[in-house]
Amino acid sequence: MSEPRFEYEPFPDLDLPLAARLGQYPRQPDLLLDTARALGRRLAATALRLQFRFEVVGAAPDLPRVAIMANHQSHLDTLAILAALPERDRRRVTVLAARDYFFERPAPALLANLLGQAVAFDRGSELAELHRWARLLPTIEPGWFLIYPSGSRKRLVPQAGLAGVLARSGWTVLPTALAGTAEAWPIGHALWRPFRTVRVTFGEPITDAAEHDLPRELLAFWAEHGHLVGAGALDGRPTEVPHEP
Amino acid sequence: MDIDAILDLGTLSSDPLRLYTLATVVTVIVTTGLLAVLRLPGAWIPLRTWFVILPVALGAMWLGQGAWTLLVAVVSVLAFKEYARVTGLYRETLFVLLAYGAIITQNLFAYLGRYDVFMAIPTWTVLAMALVPIVLRRTEGMLQWFALAIVGAIFYGYFLAHLSYLYGSSTGLGYLLFVLLMTQLNDALQFIYGKAVGRHRWTPLSPNKTVEGSLLAGATIVGLTFLQAPIVFPGVPPWGVLVAGLIITIGGQVGDLTMANVKRNAGVKDFGAVLPGHGGLTDRLNSLMITAPAFAHIMGYLFGGFPS
Repeated sequence: MSEPRFEYEPFPDLDLPLAARLGQYPRQPDLLLDTARALGRRLAATALRLQFRFEVVGAAPDLPRVAIMANHQSHLDTLAILAALPERDRRRVTVLAARDYFFERPAPALLANLLGQAVAFDRGSELAELHRWARLLPTIEPGWFLIYPSGSRKRLVPQAGLAGVLARSGWTVLPTALAGTAEAWPIGHALWRPFRTVRVTFGEPITDAAEHDLPRELLAFWAEHGHLVGAGALDGRPTEVPHEP
Repeated sequence: MDIDAILDLGTLSSDPLRLYTLATVVTVIVTTGLLAVLRLPGAWIPLRTWFVILPVALGAMWLGQGAWTLLVAVVSVLAFKEYARVTGLYRETLFVLLAYGAIITQNLFAYLGRYDVFMAIPTWTVLAMALVPIVLRRTEGMLQWFALAIVGAIFYGYFLAHLSYLYGSSTGLGYLLFVLLMTQLNDALQFIYGKAVGRHRWTPLSPNKTVEGSLLAGATIVGLTFLQAPIVFPGVPPWGVLVAGLIITIGGQVGDLTMANVKRNAGVKDFGAVLPGHGGLTDRLNSLMITAPAFAHIMGYLFGGFPS
C-alpha cells in the first residue's frame, strides 16, 4: 500500500506585488478581492446610472465566449458598458486595460480591478503579449472579454491585434458603440461631467468573426451608432483624436 | 499628552509605552545614521519597511487596546492568507473561512478579557473543521487540508492572539512591548551575528541559522532582558528574568524554524512580498507565534499578571 503524501501547490503569484497580482489573468482565487469586485461592479453600475441619462440599445447574446469590442474615448467607457449589462453577464466580463497606465501602481490597479474588472494588457511588448494571449485563450474557461481594438482613447481606428486573436480563437465578437461618454468625461479632464446622456448600442453578434474584416466592420458600426469625437468622414480614416491637454 | 509630558524622564520608567517608543525612535535614528555611514548594501530596503511597521504597531498601542486588537486581528488574517496560499489550502474555501472566523473570535475574546472562552476557542475550531469533510462529502486530500487548517488556525489565531491578550496584562504594557520588540531584535541579531561571525550551520531548515549567530543573539537578548528587568519585571526574581530572556531567544528560533519548515515543504522562499526586504507578513510574525503564547503562559503561571 503506497504511503499517502501531502502535496503542496503554492499559488503562482506569491512574489508579485499587489498591482501585478491585480493585473494577472487568469485570476487566482481571492476571497477578499472577489468579494470587493462583486461589490465594486454593482456600486459603479449604480453610481453611473444615477449620474447619467442612460440608454441601452440592443442586448448581449447568451453565449459562453463573447468578446465585446467597443470604441474608446473616455474612462467612462468600461463602466458604461458594464452598467449596460445585466449582473449575470456583467460578472463574467474581464476588461483588458493598459498595464502601463493602470497596473504599475496599487491605487489605479485597485480602482481598475475592483470597479472595472480589469486585467493588464501589455501594450509595450504587444507582439509577445498577443502570442501569450493566443496560447492562453484555448486553455481557459469560457468567459467574456471587453477590449478596445483602437488600443487607446486617443486613437479611433481599430487594430487587428487582440481582436483578431480573439476572433481566431473562437470568441463571438459583439460590436458595441458608445456615444456620449467622450463628452461626459473628456480626455484630459480630471473629473467627469454628470447629468449627460450616455448611450450603449450592442450590435449583432458575429459568430464567424475570423472570416470578417473586423477593423472595417467595427469602424463602420461605431461611426453609425457611436459618437467618434474628432472623426471626419469614414473614408478619411482619422487616426488620432485632436490634441487635448 | 503634550510633548513635555512625553519627554519627562522622571516618570519614564513607570510608563513602558512611552519608554519603549522613545527607545525605538532613538534606535531607528542611530541605526539609520550607522547605515548612512557604513553604506551597507541591501540594508536600506528592510530598514525602510521598519519605518512603516514600527509607527503602525506603536501607533495602534498608543490608540488603545481596541486599536491594537484590531491590528493584530487584521494582520493575523492577512498572514494566514499567505500561509494558505503557500500551502494551497486557500483553494479550500470552507476551511479558510473557518480559520478566519477563529482568528477574529480569538482576538475578540482576548479584547474582552474572557480567558475561559479564549482558551476554549481552539477546541471549537477543530471541532468545526472536523465537520468540513462530512459536509462536503469528500475524502480526497481532506486529511491534508484538515491538518493544515488546524495548524493555521492555531498558529495564526490562537497563538498570535496572545499579542492581543498581553495588552490586558495587569502589569501594564511592559510585557507586550518586551515580547514584541525583543523578539524582533532577536531575529535581527541572529541574522547580523550570523553574517558577521557565523561559520557553523546547525539546521537544514534554515541555511541562515548559525551556532555563533544563535548563541550570540541569545546572550545579547538575555543581557538586555536583565537591563530592562527593573521596568518590565518588577518583583520578578533573577531566575525569572533569565527565563523571560530564554523564552524570547529560544522561542523566537522555534517559531522561525517552524514556518521555515512550511516554506521548505512548499518549495517557496518567502511567504509573500508585502514587506519589502522581509518577505511576507508571516516572515516577520513567525517568531512571535511561539514567543507570545510561551511568554504569556509561562510568566503568567510563574508570576501572574494576566486576567483569568
